[in-house]
Amino acid sequence: MEVEELKKKFLNRDFDERSFEVRQDAMLEFAAACGETAPRFTDPSDPDFRAPPTFCACFHGRRMLPGDFPSLGIPLDAGKCVMPQRPIRAGIPLVGRSHLHDIYEKTGRTGRMIFLVSRMELYDPQQNLVSIVDSRLVIRERPGE
Amino acid sequence: MILDLHNHSIRSDDGRAKVENYCQWIRKREIPIDGFVLTEHRQFDSASDYSALAREHGLTILKGSEVETDYGHVLLFGVSPALLGRFDFGSVRLPLAQVIEQAERHGAVAVPCHPGRTRVGMCAHVAERGPVDGVRIVEIYNGGSRGSEDETARALAERYGYRGTGGSDAHIVSHIGRCATRFPGAIHDEAGLAEALRAGEFEAISWKSKS
Repeated sequence: MEVEELKKKFLNRDFDERSFEVRQDAMLEFAAACGETAPRFTDPSDPDFRAPPTFCACFHGRRMLPGDFPSLGIPLDAGKCVMPQRPIRAGIPLVGRSHLHDIYEKTGRTGRMIFLVSRMELYDPQQNLVSIVDSRLVIRERPGE
Repeated sequence: MILDLHNHSIRSDDGRAKVENYCQWIRKREIPIDGFVLTEHRQFDSASDYSALAREHGLTILKGSEVETDYGHVLLFGVSPALLGRFDFGSVRLPLAQVIEQAERHGAVAVPCHPGRTRVGMCAHVAERGPVDGVRIVEIYNGGSRGSEDETARALAERYGYRGTGGSDAHIVSHIGRCATRFPGAIHDEAGLAEALRAGEFEAISWKSKS
């Protein structure tokens, strides 16, 4: 299937929704793993205690692609990008909604590759957008296609 | 004047370098280039303005593009708004002949890059389907080349009488300044670069063995 067809059919259509709990111990563990030393990330008694900006990269939806997305090959992880919008506080429940944000192709030494950018937008109970997480998948074109 | 003609910033999907950090690296490491060209993948970055950065660091920062054709990847220098409307820069199946024709018609210059590279270089396609009319310059030194890819590129240039350029193909800061192109006079803007390339008086340089 051509990329333009995939874009028309699948872009910007929510395909998953999932709730997440922001646990204080997970925030502290993540901050330690990142090597954070600022008290706002490491000390729960700090008045501005929050999760490190990339914490939301830990959240995963129930699926990475829409249920009716065609099988193009085995997708491999091609990186993540987190765009923090508001501080993430302990104990605040978040809801993540996922859609395909971009589909594009490129050519390289190994041939043609298709990149799928799955975007999860995380909202707090007041429906404020707190973070945007882009997960990139790459699928190598099968030989002969 | 020495310009590194092939680099990518974070505006490219696989670029990990900020333009400011390229400037800082060039100055800190005293890399002997006078400037560089940002050739973002499958697009022309019309939005970014690097003039303040260029002034601050005393460097010439120009913009081009790297598009994908049926004969591999191709650098475009001297991209104008008129050229942007002539074909889809995002396509990975552009006919090279069309890219060259449109570039020439709109004052730009098309330079097939890393021609010795598998699949995305021109050499293998030329061997299979023959040369394309209108090619005058190819990149003979590429900072990302492996093994004998640059030698293959130089052999292609020699065989068909192409002029050769050099560019680092940097995607991370420390890779800028591995290859470049020396011009006899000063170049101040994209149109001037295209003119200098058309004039044909330039020399490709590689510092890869020193890095």
